[in-house]
Amino acid sequence: MSRNGSPTNDSGVNRVSAVAVAAHELKSPLVLLRQLSLELAANDLSESERQQVVEQMTHVAEKAIRLTSDLTRAESQSTLFELAPVNPLDVARDVRSELDRLYKAHGRKLKVARIRHLPPVIANRDLLRRILLNFADNALHYGDIDGVVELQAQLIGERSTVRLSVRDFGPHMPIKHWRKLTSTLEQSQPVHARPQSSGLGLYISNQFATAMGGRIGAIRHQDGASFYVELPVSHQLSLL
Amino acid sequence: MTERVVVVEDDVWLAEHYLRVLRRAGYEAYHAAHALGAIDVIDDVRPHAVLLDVLLTGTTALALLHELRSHPDLADIPIVLATNLADQISLEDVESYGVKRILDKATMHPEDVVAAVRTVIQ
Repeated sequence: MSRNGSPTNDSGVNRVSAVAVAAHELKSPLVLLRQLSLELAANDLSESERQQVVEQMTHVAEKAIRLTSDLTRAESQSTLFELAPVNPLDVARDVRSELDRLYKAHGRKLKVARIRHLPPVIANRDLLRRILLNFADNALHYGDIDGVVELQAQLIGERSTVRLSVRDFGPHMPIKHWRKLTSTLEQSQPVHARPQSSGLGLYISNQFATAMGGRIGAIRHQDGASFYVELPVSHQLSLL
Repeated sequence: MTERVVVVEDDVWLAEHYLRVLRRAGYEAYHAAHALGAIDVIDDVRPHAVLLDVLLTGTTALALLHELRSHPDLADIPIVLATNLADQISLEDVESYGVKRILDKATMHPEDVVAAVRTVIQ
């Protein structure tokens, strides 16, 4: 979508792909919910196991709801997104708080890197939050089981742009897989980027970033990956 | 002797579910979250069967199956695939990799996992 919300990449192929990826990715949480509910119904669980399974079912359902809500919003071409100066670190902290329970349920930790003097960006707070939620949710399923996931931020492009990244630490992604991911990101198509959850999340995130005049991207590290969104710095304060 | 099963599944909560179900049925069950780790676990545990997801983090199940077939001492371990892609995979196409059963995650019941493992070990 363009900054005013009109579609820029609306080919029939992309739409069909988006539906296919959405169907596939929504199938995984539904499959897990079904298995867990069958296990609950069999009544073979101890009380602590039962509580754990119920909590997992709640998280899985919430994730599926988030995905469908985001998809609805990404596909809503008539919506105008209000842009305003936003403190990106506030949004990162909100995301950390929002996912705290989910990360704890997985025995994982999501933290915000310490950054000082970061200027506000031109963004829609809710869309930026949803992008980071998508990245962080993806990292949860990709990184090492005991690993930390970090929300990072840096000023780039001669201080004209803020890059907000979600850095995970996990298996090295094969280069063939990586090339497919990055080329698909450039073409703004949905992609089965990783087995768990990220294909649709990346597609949605790309739609949201474009709507804010920004872009998303990814960096491959030896020990994991960073998925990032870049947004223009707000110069409103410098005009005062 | 208790029979051993390695579960290769990158969805941790689904893996925990499989482990609970298999342990309740009397198996020793172990977990690997991705294909690279799975080789090590399988090498250590020497399982009687492997329950394997197809779409794995980092690489696919096919790469793991290739790797297992290349080791004579691991090549005969029977494999059960549990996948969301069951309608796209025929047993004939993967039998040569040691796959004995394919379970459709969308329709299977917890007891189907136990039944499949029991069948391939026999």
